[in-house]
Amino acid sequence: MASVSFRHVFKTYRSEKKPSVDDFNLEIADGEFLVLVGPSGCGKTTTLRMLSGLEDISDGEIYIGDRYINYVSPKDRDIAMVFQNYALYPNLTVYENMALGLKLRKTAKHEIDMRVKKAARILEITNYLDKKPGQLSGGQKQRVALGRAIVREPKVFLMDEPLSNLDAKLRAQTRAELIRLHRELGTTTVYVTHDQTEAMTMGTRIVVMKDGVIQQADTPQRIYRHPANLFVAGFIGSPAMNFIEGGIAESEGRMYFNNKRLRLRIPESFYPSLREAPSLRSVVLGIRPEHIVSDPAWLQHFDNKVSALIDIKELMGADTYLYLNVGETNLVARVDDAEDGFELKSAVEVGFQMEKAHFFDAATGANLSADSLRGQP
Amino acid sequence: MNALMTQVRRLTLFETLLLAGLLLLAAFLALPIVFIVNHAFKPYNEMFQFPPTFLVREPTLSNFYDLFLRSSASIVPFSRYLFNSLIVSAATLAAVIVSSSMAAYVLSKYRFSLKKAVMAMIMLSLMFAPETVAIPRYLIISWLNINNTYFGHVLPFIASPVAVFLMKQFVDQIPNELVEAAKVEGASEVRIFLRIVMPLAMPALATIAIITFQSVWSDGQSSTLFMQDETMKTLPYYIMTLTSGVNAVAGQGMAAAAGLLMFLPNLVIFLFAQKRIMETMVHSGVK
Repeated sequence: MASVSFRHVFKTYRSEKKPSVDDFNLEIADGEFLVLVGPSGCGKTTTLRMLSGLEDISDGEIYIGDRYINYVSPKDRDIAMVFQNYALYPNLTVYENMALGLKLRKTAKHEIDMRVKKAARILEITNYLDKKPGQLSGGQKQRVALGRAIVREPKVFLMDEPLSNLDAKLRAQTRAELIRLHRELGTTTVYVTHDQTEAMTMGTRIVVMKDGVIQQADTPQRIYRHPANLFVAGFIGSPAMNFIEGGIAESEGRMYFNNKRLRLRIPESFYPSLREAPSLRSVVLGIRPEHIVSDPAWLQHFDNKVSALIDIKELMGADTYLYLNVGETNLVARVDDAEDGFELKSAVEVGFQMEKAHFFDAATGANLSADSLRGQP
Repeated sequence: MNALMTQVRRLTLFETLLLAGLLLLAAFLALPIVFIVNHAFKPYNEMFQFPPTFLVREPTLSNFYDLFLRSSASIVPFSRYLFNSLIVSAATLAAVIVSSSMAAYVLSKYRFSLKKAVMAMIMLSLMFAPETVAIPRYLIISWLNINNTYFGHVLPFIASPVAVFLMKQFVDQIPNELVEAAKVEGASEVRIFLRIVMPLAMPALATIAIITFQSVWSDGQSSTLFMQDETMKTLPYYIMTLTSGVNAVAGQGMAAAAGLLMFLPNLVIFLFAQKRIMETMVHSGVK
């Protein structure tokens, strides 16, 4: 097991001017489950491939433990990788697939046998050891691919969207297994995904990337509660955070968020940080769907109420999503299923839990609220 | 038997017609093979009969006898041509498989500059008929001073654009992740090529083997152009001489027997490799 350290890492492909990975700085602690998440083309897979040695590093340094590994070949980095399409050798049996890496490292035969069987037991694939990958289902194949990584007992696991080829149910199940596996083995893991649910549920820490640049690196909870900028706020969370454009004005010592339709009072806790902001003329208010409240018992305590039109109603089981229309602004609210009676095209009064809201600079996207993590990479 | 009967009864009218049609077509396509076999066993009088007969009436081995024994009395025996052909075919086969599979692997799985240019040149060379490059080939062979050697037979065949192309198309289908996974696991380049890529490319290998064998086995050009020494010439060349000039009539029997002998290896190889060949053709989009 080992820590991983990226120091000012760049990747520029020859045919492109803009770097695919731009000044990537990150310290991954020993035993961490780090998730790189972002939309496709954000550089997360390139970053992982540079760590694996399958891709050259254009500039900067990567360390595994204390070892500088820029020019170390993949096989000498002591890593194991799991691929999206499993990458099992179709001409070898499951056992041979799992044993190959050890065999190439000249591990003693009884040791190989012991490790393969142990990994097979952990992953519950003992019954398939003599089968060829072609005879297995997708979920089983992915277990074999995981097994192949486990038997090597590497310093770092690298996983490149390992669950993307599985169906939804199997994905949820394997996700839970991966979490359990990480807890048991404690091996440092770098996991790439574009799925924010996977990122939120699995990572001990999440790195959100966009256009090759780290937007925010923090625990899932802090990323959810205190997104560093508009992009992170919109990317993490489902349904996505609501954004309302407007401006902040101060009158009689009180701050209000205004636009054509809305005038929302801002809680005093925001004042110090908002007063520091360079400009408040053009800001974006961000509020998560669960912080838009429609329960009448609650609503009476709210100053910030607004009447909205119900556009679409989505029943999700435990929750219901209401797609609301306030003038030109569309909002999504998450309400309890118990609260029946939301008629389509009818008006409903909703309140904003402003103390949970975020204010972003419309031009730079930066989060202007005090408790957000300004200054982070 | 019972199972077979129920199977037959389940065929619809359309399927029955289709089956009958396909069987007819197959029978028609089999005619040349039937003819080659029959012709080789015909005695002289049947061979020149008019109207010509398709099937042999009184089969005889005299054609083979002539081919093997009587021609052995000439300066270079039949067996020498056969031996040369076997050596040349085997060597060419090995060389083409090694060179084209390695070229295809690199062209398919590596990133390097001028890759497109190299591919374009290979595609371009597919367009030349062998006759158009006969003179340059002759010049190269004589410049290398390998006239009258087995290498002179083999060299022109080693650069086989069709083989490289077929192999590359097939290796393209092998996911990059397999190669990358092997790299991370600790396999060397040679090992990845031999143990991961080659076993998966077996169908394509079988195909290029049979294509190459067919062209080498029936090629008389290199014997005509590059081999001045009679003892270095191959079987196809010998068969051409059987029916040329004064032998136009007298050599027909031997030519028929030799024709069958030339054809048999192709048939045998195809029968063994046909499943693999179908796979390659499907994968490479070539029909």
